[in-house]
Amino acid sequence: MTELTAPNVVAASTRSDRRRQILQNLLRGERPYMLYIAFVILLVVFSLSSPWFLSVDNFLNIGRQTTLVSIIAVGMTFVIIARQIDLSVASTLALSGMAAALAMSQINNSWVVGAVAGLGTGALVGLLNGILTTQLSIPSFLVTLGSLSMARGLAMMVTNTKPVIITNETYFAIFGEGTFLGIPVPIAWTLAAMIVGILLLHYNVFGRRIYAVGGNPTAALYSGINTKRITTAAFVLTGTLAGLAALVLSARSHAARPDVVQGMELDVIAAVILGGCSLFGGRGYILGTLFGSLIIGTLNNGLVLLGVSSPMQLVIKGAIIVAAVAFTKR
Amino acid sequence: MVSGINKRFGGVRALRDVNLEVRAGEVHALLGENGAGKSTLIKILSGVHALDSGTIEIVGRPVEFDSPAKSREAGIAVVYQDLSLVESLSVADNLLLGREPRARFGFVRQRELIAKAEAFLNELGIPLDTRAAVGSLPFAYRQMTEIAKALMGEVRLLILDEPTSSLTSDEVRILFDAIGKATRRGVGVIYVTHRLNEVFEISQRVTVLRDGANAGTFVTAETDMKRLVNAIVGTDRSAPTGPRTEPAAKRELDPSPVLSLSDVSNDRLRAVDLSVLKGEIHGLAGLIGSGRTEILETVFGLRPLDSGAIQIEGRRWLPRGPADAIEQGIALVPEDRHVQGLVLDHSIERNVTLPRIPHFSRWGWMQQRAAARRAETAVARLSVKAPDAFSLVRTLSGGNQQKVVFGKWNDPRPRVLLLDEPTVGVDVGAREEIYAVIRNAVRDGSGVLVVSSDLVELIELCDRISVIVNGRVARTLSRGEIDDAEELHHLLQMYQASGPGHLQELPA
Repeated sequence: MTELTAPNVVAASTRSDRRRQILQNLLRGERPYMLYIAFVILLVVFSLSSPWFLSVDNFLNIGRQTTLVSIIAVGMTFVIIARQIDLSVASTLALSGMAAALAMSQINNSWVVGAVAGLGTGALVGLLNGILTTQLSIPSFLVTLGSLSMARGLAMMVTNTKPVIITNETYFAIFGEGTFLGIPVPIAWTLAAMIVGILLLHYNVFGRRIYAVGGNPTAALYSGINTKRITTAAFVLTGTLAGLAALVLSARSHAARPDVVQGMELDVIAAVILGGCSLFGGRGYILGTLFGSLIIGTLNNGLVLLGVSSPMQLVIKGAIIVAAVAFTKR
Repeated sequence: MVSGINKRFGGVRALRDVNLEVRAGEVHALLGENGAGKSTLIKILSGVHALDSGTIEIVGRPVEFDSPAKSREAGIAVVYQDLSLVESLSVADNLLLGREPRARFGFVRQRELIAKAEAFLNELGIPLDTRAAVGSLPFAYRQMTEIAKALMGEVRLLILDEPTSSLTSDEVRILFDAIGKATRRGVGVIYVTHRLNEVFEISQRVTVLRDGANAGTFVTAETDMKRLVNAIVGTDRSAPTGPRTEPAAKRELDPSPVLSLSDVSNDRLRAVDLSVLKGEIHGLAGLIGSGRTEILETVFGLRPLDSGAIQIEGRRWLPRGPADAIEQGIALVPEDRHVQGLVLDHSIERNVTLPRIPHFSRWGWMQQRAAARRAETAVARLSVKAPDAFSLVRTLSGGNQQKVVFGKWNDPRPRVLLLDEPTVGVDVGAREEIYAVIRNAVRDGSGVLVVSSDLVELIELCDRISVIVNGRVARTLSRGEIDDAEELHHLLQMYQASGPGHLQELPA
């Protein structure tokens, strides 16, 4: 924008303005349309090259496969908008899953106990990440690099690396195998996490503060915002969602294993960045993250259907992620 | 050495026939206000800018250079205010950075490097541990390293640009020793400073620049502070900016203070006593680094209090942080709007509502419409020139950005409005509008504490002005005691030059 000589004419906020505002909230990003175009291109390419790709079953498959990444990526969006990073999410998931399964096997085999233990463990790891980052001013990259290792180690220690079997049918139904309004529950949980994320980030006071802290921490401080508390809250949210993902995974496999999803933090971060978040903070939106995650999931799925060898899959996936980020950035 | 230098930047003549002669082994002080041309002259000597006309001679030979490297070759070395050292490397590594003695395959001969550095420092007589990391050294020693680095090789002229601005008095002593050692080797030194007392301590001669031209060269021993101040400020100068309203007549004020500081001390302030009355505009005048900004920061809870008391409308209050201060009705328009005041990539609406987000929410959920309405009112009331309240702040001009910062604190009116350089980088039109905003706030009963380097602005706006020197209030002037920026400027220079102590004896 250049010269702004026109006198400020401020229109009353009409309904159409309001709608535009909501759209802006949901689609905010550098070049949001590039992301959706990329997704559509991907769908077209795979549909043309594999007869099995374009089916309801396969899309539900993709949805199920991306569940874990999508759920955690919602939290990661908050963390990255706040100018931080959380590398510990995959380990947190493993530790939370062990905590949930062990708590159930010890106390009444109750699914409530399992859920509370799983979510609580995730929240606690997030809280520690947040406190260390803000109170000791250690870069979150280093803090969470440490907790990545510690959480994974703890998860292996508690059972000496053995998996813990889960037998509670209600638990399976709620988190892994049932349906909710006809939607498989893992996908329902993903949607729930998305909606909560959208409400928190775009409609809640907390979201406003997250954007301000990431956009300019000094200005946020000078505006009376407790930047440390806000940053810590973002980590707690991410940890809790890693806990939720742990419940989904363990309910699907009827057991918690300490060695699951190693390296998944990279997929989560890739999804968030692909979705239009700025690594420099202050910018990003939840719907973008969902599409980022879907693109990664679709790639995984489509490449398998095309019979691409798994080493080659890694190479193609990596190249497409870098290319996509390069295109969606300025 | 330098004669008849001219330099133009577009239509502005930054330097007009400037002459300067520095003798071998001499410390020659260069004085002048900000914008008098000191920096331009230094940049020409160091090869950053090319000169338009005039000549530079070194030991009688005319030289020409178009790059810093050429200037360096000609024997001119510059030590800048912001040091150019690598903090994690040792003193020896820094001295020989880029010219390390090498073995085959690029390996560094560490022992030879240290020996070379030590030999050089011994020759200079500068006592530095060559193995110490520069980052671990006190500031004065870093500066000595910098000077030593500048003196490596054939140097005839050393330029020091405000070298003491961040040094303690002990460190200044160490620095002066190092300068003395350089001059004894026959190096000529140009010493740029704002501190007149240092001029008398270290220099043999002084050249003063004013408005890009020579305002006199003096032999230090034969002049005094008063004459130097006159040369710096100029005696025949009219008000520096265009038409401005006459200062308003003295107003009757409600004598109850909204904010008062008594005996407030911390790392930068020493026993500050100050009060701001309801409806008063109280100015803080002082040189950069005098503690003006720190007073505002302390009141806003950004700087802890060591001793003393702050009262808000007569109630004692200990600031615990910006959130606490805002709760008390205190607002701050900070010095650097890009870094401290605004989130540039966010909309006007987001910025304006930032300090009071809870007021635009119910049960934690944003009332988007209330926030938008609030922002639109702010845009209209402060006449921010922008398409709408959702425009990004980055796209606005400086003056309009500053209005947005004011918009953060405009409604409801704060009890105390703290302003730090409120019109820096703001054009004349927007400036008048900002003055109107300040006056409106005062009319509605806010108390304003304003820091400004623009003395004309202070005199025009303020009911009282406190002069801040070295972290304390040297004197408080009421409207009418001084109504001329030049007089105030003189007063500041005199207070600063005379340093702490016998403050009250100086004439107004």
